[in-house]
Amino acid sequence: MFGWEYPPVHCGGLGVACQGIVRGLKAHGTHVTLVLPHDTASEDGVSILTPADLGVAGLISVQTRLHPYDSVETFAARIAAQEADPALQELYGTDLGDAVERYTATAVELTKNVPADIVHTHDWMTLGAGARAAKALRKPLVAHVHATELDRTEFHPNAWIYAQELKGLQSADHVLAVSSYTKNLLVREYGIRADKITVLHNGAFAVPTHNRPFEKHGKRHPLVLFLGRLTVQKGVTYFLRAARKIADHRSDVRFVVAGDGYLLPQLIAQACDMGLADRIIFAGRVTNAEARQLYRKADCFVMPSVSEPFGLVALEAITHGAPVVMSRQSGAAEVIQNSLLVDFWDTDKMADCILTVLREEPLRRAMHSQTPRILRNLTWERQAGKILATYRNVIGGRNG
Amino acid sequence: MSSKRITTPAVCFYFQVHQPYRLNDLRITDIGSVGPAGYFDATKNHAIFRKVAEKCYLPANALMLTLLRDHPDFKVAYSLSGVFLDQCREYGQDVLDSFRALAKTGQVEFLAETYYHSLSSLFSLGEFCEQVKRHADTIEELFGERPTVFRNTELVFSNEIAEIARLLGFKGILAEGADHLLKGREATTLYRPPRFALPSASKRIIARHRIHPRSAATTKILLKHYRLSDDIAFRFSNRTWPGYPLKSETFVSWVRENPGFTTNLFMDYETFGEHQWADTGIFQFLAALPGELRRQGIPTRTPSETIVAWARRPMPVLDAHVPYSWADTERDLSAWRGNPLQEAALRNIYSLESQVKASGDLFLLDTWRRLQTSDHFYYLCTKYWNDGDVHRYFSPYESPYEAYRRYSHAIEDLRLQLERAAEGKLIMEN
Repeated sequence: MFGWEYPPVHCGGLGVACQGIVRGLKAHGTHVTLVLPHDTASEDGVSILTPADLGVAGLISVQTRLHPYDSVETFAARIAAQEADPALQELYGTDLGDAVERYTATAVELTKNVPADIVHTHDWMTLGAGARAAKALRKPLVAHVHATELDRTEFHPNAWIYAQELKGLQSADHVLAVSSYTKNLLVREYGIRADKITVLHNGAFAVPTHNRPFEKHGKRHPLVLFLGRLTVQKGVTYFLRAARKIADHRSDVRFVVAGDGYLLPQLIAQACDMGLADRIIFAGRVTNAEARQLYRKADCFVMPSVSEPFGLVALEAITHGAPVVMSRQSGAAEVIQNSLLVDFWDTDKMADCILTVLREEPLRRAMHSQTPRILRNLTWERQAGKILATYRNVIGGRNG
Repeated sequence: MSSKRITTPAVCFYFQVHQPYRLNDLRITDIGSVGPAGYFDATKNHAIFRKVAEKCYLPANALMLTLLRDHPDFKVAYSLSGVFLDQCREYGQDVLDSFRALAKTGQVEFLAETYYHSLSSLFSLGEFCEQVKRHADTIEELFGERPTVFRNTELVFSNEIAEIARLLGFKGILAEGADHLLKGREATTLYRPPRFALPSASKRIIARHRIHPRSAATTKILLKHYRLSDDIAFRFSNRTWPGYPLKSETFVSWVRENPGFTTNLFMDYETFGEHQWADTGIFQFLAALPGELRRQGIPTRTPSETIVAWARRPMPVLDAHVPYSWADTERDLSAWRGNPLQEAALRNIYSLESQVKASGDLFLLDTWRRLQTSDHFYYLCTKYWNDGDVHRYFSPYESPYEAYRRYSHAIEDLRLQLERAAEGKLIMEN
C-alpha cells in the first residue's frame, strides 16, 4: 500500500483514512506493507517508526521532498524557502514533476521484492509509483481516490497533475472513491467507467461512549468551529461571510478557525476587514487532542467546503458531539444524515442554520441522538471488509 | 362463527383526502417582519396541489362519478380535511366542484374530522372540539349533510377519544384494525369502547361544542382491514409481491374468502394516481371494482349504513388505553411523537393556545391552527430517516432537521406577533 502520510505525523484526512484502512485490514488478518514518503528535512517522526508502531507487516520509507497536499506552487515555494543549499536543490530538484518522478522510481525499486497480492494507492502522487510497481509485480492495482485535482483547485486544475491522475486512474484495475459525490465526479470529469468504481465511505474510529451533556445553554459565548486546512477547497471564506451575518444577529457568538494553510494571512486580513477581529480566533494548526477538545466545546461545527470528496472532520465532529452544518458539495453528506446541508455559496442559509442550531436545544439533541447509529454503520473494520471484497473481485476478475 | 357466515359480507370504502400547508424557507432575519402570511410556501403548495389534482383528484373523481352513475348501489365515503378544502378554494375550485358532483349522487358519505388535520385530540380538548365543529359546519355547508361518523387524524384512536366522539354526538368512529388490540379477533365486526367516564370538566367543554343535538347512545367502532386495504394502497404496484399484478376479480375473491359482516377498506385517496401512478393500472382496477363486487355478490355500504345494518347485534369491546394510529408498522404515535424535535415542536405550538385565543385575531388563530397539521410533525420524524423510506418520500424538505429549522422559525415569529398583538401594537396586513 502506497500512503502519503500517517499519524501521528499528518496534516490532513488522508493520513487518518490511511491509518483506519490499515487497522481495519489488519483486523481481517490482511498483511499490509506500507510505503511511506520520508522527508529528511521535516519532522523525524516517520523515520523512527517501526512497522509494529504502525501496525503493518512491513514499512518501506522513501526519501522525498514531497508533502501530501503539495501543489506545483506550494512545493516550489517550500523548497525555495527551506533550501539555502544549492547542492541539495540540485540533488532533489525544485520541480514537483521531477520530485514525483524520483519518488516513483525509488519506490518501485524498493518494492520490487514485496510478495504482494494487490497494490493499493492513495491519491495521485503515489498513483504512478503504484501503477509501475503493480506492473513489475504483475499484480492488480486498486487506486483509492480521497480527493482529485478538481476538488483541490475549485475546478481549475493544474494540467500536468490532472493528466497524472487521469493516466493512473485509467491504468488501475479498480478505483475506490470515498463517496458517490467523488464517483460521479470521476465518471463525469475523468471519463472513468462507473462499473470500475466502488464507493467506499470513510470510516470512524471507535466511538467515545460518553454522552455529550446537553446542559442548559448557560455559556456566555456559544462557539462555532471551523477545522481544516486553510485552502480554497475548504471554503473558509464562506465561513467568514456566514460569521459576519451571524455577528450581525447575535453579538455573543464566537468563531474558531483551526488549521493551517496558505490562505491564513489572507483570511486574517479578511476577518479584520469584516470587523470580526474580536469575534474570531485563528487557532492555527492543532494537535489531535486539541481538535477533540474543540469539537467537544463547539456548539456547532461548520464544513463549508467548495468540493469535498468526503470530509472526515465532519465525522470527527459528530463523534465528539458537535452538531454539523455542512456543504451539500461533500461526500460526508451521504452518510452523516444528522446534519443540516447548505450550498457552500449560500452563506445566508449557512448563517441561518448555524443560528438555528445555537437557538434550538431540541435540534442539537435530536441530531446527536442519531450519531451512534451512524457511527456503528461506519467502522473502519466494516469498511475494510468491503475493501477486501473489492480486492477479491479484482484478483478473481484477473485470474478468471 | 355460523352467524357470521349467514351475513352477506359487505365492503365499506373510505378515502382520506388531505393536503398540508408546507412551510417557506424562513430565515431568522425574517422573524418579526414576515408575519403569518409568509409562513407557507404558496408557490410550492399551489404546484403540489395542481400536480395531485391532475394526477389523482380530477381523474379519480371523474371515474368515481361514472361508477356511481353506472352502479346506483355502489357506495363510498370520503373524509376531506379542512385544510384540503381551504386549498381547493385557493388552488382548485374545479376539484371542489368534482367532489360536490359526487355528493349529488347521494351515494357518497362525508365523514367528520378535525378541520386542520391536527393532533389536537392529544393536546387540547377545547381546541379539538372547536376544530371538529368547524369541520362539521363546513362539510354541511358544502355538501348538504352534517357528518355522523368521525375519523380522527391518521386514525388516532383511544377509549377517551371514542368517548369524546360519543358525547359530541357521533354514531360511529373509525380506527385501525391493529392486531395488538384485536388479539386474534376479526376486524370485520363492529366493536364498542369500554365504558369510560370523562371528568365533568371535560364533559362541560364537550357539551358546549356538541355536533349533534344529542350525544349518541353508543359509538360503534369500524376497524380498518389493513391487509386488504394495503394490498391496494401499498402493494398494488409492487412487482416482487406474489399478488402482482392485482386484478379486481382476484381482489374481490379475497374479500369473499374473508368472512365477516364488513370489510372496511380505508386508504388515502391519493392512492389512485399519485401513490400508485396511472401507468400501474390502478384506475382500471378501480373501474372494474364495482362490477366485480356485484358479480360476486358483495354489496357496498357507507360507514353510517354499516352502523345501521349492524343494528342491535352484540358488540365486542375494543380496549384502547393508549392512543394508537394507522401509521407505519408500529401503529403507534411515534411517527409524530417519537423524538425531541417533535416533542419540542408540539409543546411549542400548543403552549401558544391561550395567547392566540386571547388575541382575538382570527388570522393569527387560523395560522396557528394550520401549524397544527400533523404533517408538520411527521416531517420531523427521524426513526427511519437513515434508511430513506416512506417518510422521506412524503417529505417536501431535505431532512427532518431542515423541517425543524423552518417550523421553529415560524413558531418564533408567531410568538413575536402574539406579543405585539398583546401589546396592542400590531396592525395586521389584511
